[in-house]
Amino acid sequence: MTSAILVQEIAPPQWREQCARSAADGGRFLTLYAADARSAGVATLTAPSTVVRAGFVRDGVIRVLSCVPAGDEIPTIVDLIPAAAWAEREAHDAYGVTFAGHEPLRPLLIHSDDPATWMVRVKGHDAYQVAVGPIHAGVIESGHFRFHVVGELILHIDVRLFYKHRGLERAAEGRTTDEGLAYTQRACAACAVANTLAYAHACESALGLRPSPSLARVRTLLLELERLYNHLHDIGAICAGVGFAPGNMAFAALKERAQRVNHMLTGHRFLFDSVTVGASTWSVGRETLAAAREEVHSLGEDSRKAWHEVLFNASVQDRLVGIGLLPADEVVRLGTVGPAARAAGVPLDARSTGSRLTYPGFEPTIPRHPAGDVASRVNVRAMEVDVTLAMLDELLAQPVEPAGMEPAEPRQAVGIGITESPRGETVCAVELDGVDHLNRLHLRSASNVNWPAVAHAAAGSLLPDFPLINKSFELCYACSDR
Amino acid sequence: MFVLLRALSRLRRDIGLPTPEQRGSLALRLVDSGSCNGCEHELGAVFSPHYDFGRYGLNIVASPRHADMLLVTGAPTTRMVGPLRTAYEAMPEPRFVAALGDCALGRCVLGDPPEFAGPLEEIVPVDICIPGCPPTPETIGRHLVAALEYTRRVR
Repeated sequence: MTSAILVQEIAPPQWREQCARSAADGGRFLTLYAADARSAGVATLTAPSTVVRAGFVRDGVIRVLSCVPAGDEIPTIVDLIPAAAWAEREAHDAYGVTFAGHEPLRPLLIHSDDPATWMVRVKGHDAYQVAVGPIHAGVIESGHFRFHVVGELILHIDVRLFYKHRGLERAAEGRTTDEGLAYTQRACAACAVANTLAYAHACESALGLRPSPSLARVRTLLLELERLYNHLHDIGAICAGVGFAPGNMAFAALKERAQRVNHMLTGHRFLFDSVTVGASTWSVGRETLAAAREEVHSLGEDSRKAWHEVLFNASVQDRLVGIGLLPADEVVRLGTVGPAARAAGVPLDARSTGSRLTYPGFEPTIPRHPAGDVASRVNVRAMEVDVTLAMLDELLAQPVEPAGMEPAEPRQAVGIGITESPRGETVCAVELDGVDHLNRLHLRSASNVNWPAVAHAAAGSLLPDFPLINKSFELCYACSDR
Repeated sequence: MFVLLRALSRLRRDIGLPTPEQRGSLALRLVDSGSCNGCEHELGAVFSPHYDFGRYGLNIVASPRHADMLLVTGAPTTRMVGPLRTAYEAMPEPRFVAALGDCALGRCVLGDPPEFAGPLEEIVPVDICIPGCPPTPETIGRHLVAALEYTRRVR
């Protein structure tokens, strides 16, 4: 299997046709972003200043379509590929590209005082609005939800994020590939490994490097350690959402134990600074590894017992079944990824298709009744905790030693990396100049692509169920806003 | 449920956190002004079974109107400056502000992008600094208990 990335230049009149063809050929839309054409090395001094790129993946082969807009305007693909909606809005706000036919092209990054610019108008008898955020009542990140409701029934939600937009992608431009890690890592603590690893994969694919088997193995270990504490946290959050304090506290304690294992192995509770580009200097003594393996085994036993109590608690389960529906056709239409996709029966998991990590014979976890409701999203996580525990048991039995890369392909200007974060497929694109500096860094996290799905899943539900629906996706604001 | 409660009481016994000599009261409100979510995770853990700093009388309240202290995480972004000021102004006197984590302390690694609204202390007065990236639950808890003692003296 090749990891080469095919970049194809497209003229604006052919843009829609080529994107449609890529999607029709079985290519799955990954991401769309704009970049400075001059720094990306495709424009002359007189040419327009931006380039738009769209990534598709088919059978592990990534194809990038690239188009220089005519006078900052390019035809939209949102009607062909609805999953591109947020990406087009972001490219418009950040790079001034107009997507002809995307009507209305609502602002995403830019916060206007005029509600008409970002809200859908909802009319009717007794329809009213509930405004929530950006500061929430609990210990939650910042973001705004505008609910349009009748009584307690949610008609529509306008999600207004990017309060936490820190301009990380722009700030990383001009830095070396090593320095870029800090920017990707600070995008989100809970997805630090998934994001930095996607970034490292992207840089390495641009530099023409492939990880050695031992490097692939230690990176897989990091990614699964991250998944373990996140999934335990997410199950606890659902218990908190229904007011089931014993479940919340039990899983909070399990998450703490998992984070202590992280600290034992890497010196950081969120596994910060454990991923580097081109190599790994991470090394763990045999005794520490054995102790970590034993603790993972023990917390796994306790987690199974705790999950059993949650699963057979009628007052918890009554709240979860049949709410926040996101069926499989919506998953495909919106490009939803991660546990939310698998809970609807869509077998999408970057671990089963990637070739840069060690997942032999991996199959995506699909629950027996993939209803796409809150209950199945929680069930998927509980099932995946078991899969992750089994993988960790195997990985921790093998040595963790410094490892490197092998040259494989010629260098390329564009690199794309994909990993499966606890929230789903994370895509990172980098564009390098000749000497390993970043011309462009684009991070499309699972949270970013799944936020529109939360709004769709919650429409038609009751307002008091929204926190539960939201927590069943458990998305980060930080790695969506960047 | 009783299995969980039994396991939790066993866990409490095993951890053996000391009972504080004196219980105080400090109502906390978090404002995330642009963090990476690490500080939020660790702040949540402050009240989890392994730390349980709630036993000193610390608790998170839903509104700044009920809060003695504002916990601010992240290097303030241009889009969060307004909500941050509004939250601070909604607090009753005497009010305190804690900068939670290295980003809020201005030790951010990310330089000075246009989305960075400026140092926290130029937006609201900062009384307490809690360092770390992110600070551990133990660090956060100890600083907040010290803050509780401090606010008891000045109130």
